[in-house]
Amino acid sequence: MGSQARILLVDDDPDFVEATKAILETKPFEVIVAYDGKEGLEKARRENPDVIILDVMMPPPDGYAVCSELKRDPRYKKIPILLLTAVMQALPHTLYTIEMGLRTEADDYIDKPVDPAELVRRVETLIAG
Amino acid sequence: MVSILVVDDEKIIRDGCVKILSKEGWAIQTASSGEEGLGLMKNGPFDLLLLDLKMPGLSGIDVLQQVKGLHPDLLVVVITGYATVESAVEAMKAGAYDFIPKPFTPDQLRIVVHRALEKKALQREAELLRREREKGLREIADEKSKIKTIIHSMADGVLVADHEGHVVLHNPAAVKMLKIRTSPVFGQPLEDCLESGCLVDLVSKIMQVSKEGSPAVSQEVLMGERALMAHIATVRNDEGEILGVVTVLRDISMLKAMDRMKSDFVAMVSHELRGPLASVEQQLSVVLAGIIGEINERQKEMLGRAKERTRALLTLINDLLDLSKIEAGFVVQQKEPTQITEVLEKVIELLRHEAELKNISLQLSFNEGLPQVMADRGNMEEVFINLVSNGIKYTSEGGSVKLWACIEGSYLCVEVSDNGIGISAEDLPRIFDKFYRVKNAQTRKITGTGLGLPIVKGIVEAHLGSIEVESQPGIGSKFRVYLPLELSGKEMI
Repeated sequence: MGSQARILLVDDDPDFVEATKAILETKPFEVIVAYDGKEGLEKARRENPDVIILDVMMPPPDGYAVCSELKRDPRYKKIPILLLTAVMQALPHTLYTIEMGLRTEADDYIDKPVDPAELVRRVETLIAG
Repeated sequence: MVSILVVDDEKIIRDGCVKILSKEGWAIQTASSGEEGLGLMKNGPFDLLLLDLKMPGLSGIDVLQQVKGLHPDLLVVVITGYATVESAVEAMKAGAYDFIPKPFTPDQLRIVVHRALEKKALQREAELLRREREKGLREIADEKSKIKTIIHSMADGVLVADHEGHVVLHNPAAVKMLKIRTSPVFGQPLEDCLESGCLVDLVSKIMQVSKEGSPAVSQEVLMGERALMAHIATVRNDEGEILGVVTVLRDISMLKAMDRMKSDFVAMVSHELRGPLASVEQQLSVVLAGIIGEINERQKEMLGRAKERTRALLTLINDLLDLSKIEAGFVVQQKEPTQITEVLEKVIELLRHEAELKNISLQLSFNEGLPQVMADRGNMEEVFINLVSNGIKYTSEGGSVKLWACIEGSYLCVEVSDNGIGISAEDLPRIFDKFYRVKNAQTRKITGTGLGLPIVKGIVEAHLGSIEVESQPGIGSKFRVYLPLELSGKEMI
């Protein structure tokens, strides 16, 4: 990576944002944060980041809404989106995965809370892809 | 004591009778005329009347006629003075039991009286039997009306169909719940009486299934806005032939509404809990990974344990959500023809790592050519992941968990068996209860929420199937999941 990758992190939980930001900053990433869907959309358009990490469960517009709005817009649809979902993979919760598949065009999703190393790996994959 | 009345105008006969019959231990009274005799009879019952036919005043025949009217049960033996067959026949026609011609020997008298008393005893016995029979019949009639009253006053609906699926009995509650079209509908095919085809299908299915000896089935049936719980069982005769099907229906709309409120509450609370917990765990992960500065071993150890606790809580919340979704009828029931063995192979693949950690062997076997079942593939994965992962959890190092699939009657049966610690008889009936966890020294270190099996049961029942368990402590557990095979039209009754 020549220049620093810019990552937009959108989540309404400040503590989660702080922890996640700390994880991402162990790598040469520039992390931009937004604390709700509306702010997320604004910053996505203004900053045009390399990757968006987007929480699903937020007051409207929620992660799904933000995701589909960006994916509908030809200017931003290329930005990879990693959805943060609130379900762990302890069991294959097919109920949720089916729901997810139907509702989102996100590039990847990961369950909250996330393993630091796994998060970094997923983000790097999205930047490279 | 046997009491005998002798009515004769001849003193010698009266005295003779007293003398002879008293020796037999009987109580004898005498009267010298018909009028006197009738008077004595008013005072007390006699077992036998010895009656002279030819007397001055009231004749024997007159007395006999009056006696028959007043004491119909009294046995009468007539004494015919001037023995003529005609008078004896006349007396017998008038209701005498026997006759003895004068003169008679003591033996003749004894024989006649004995015979008459025997007859009397027999009559009494017959009467007793008759009364008992009458009482029995009355009791049966009472019983019938009692049962009818009970069934009719039940708040639960009762509907009985014969082996051809014709309605033979129902109660007002069933008529109301099922909106049975006409009443009475006895003798009509079930499908002509019900608006909902669902119950008809169920009953047909039960009959079909029950021929192979399957147990009763409980199933929710929706009737418009109301939810009914239908318990369906077959009625059999002594030879085990199916006589019909009895369906007991309970209106569970209220229960369902309350359950839904509870599920909504659980879902809401879970969401509210999950966010903060995810946040806490995220922060712990960051500190543990040393991202915001070095931590020492003791700190690392304690924070590690804290993270385990938050993880267990998150698992609990996820299971709760899962369960509330199933209860809310939110299960993604995308039923499609599913090859269960493929599901089982995938489950084994997913859990192989977990099993290897404990050196437990996972084995799958099945008969070739098993038919597909109509099932939601995701649901089925969840069912068997739960069962197999339980098998692994509750089996000691080096054990084995076996899966076996086969056809049993009109069901596909999948058996998950292990040679683990087993479940005690006390715990066994409760393992499908929410939050129930077997607590003993062996299970203390095993984590879980007590929601896995209720979820499994919910899914299996949503597929019209059933789950059974057998277990012996120290030997192992065996779970059997039965999923109904699709019946072709011909097989349905």
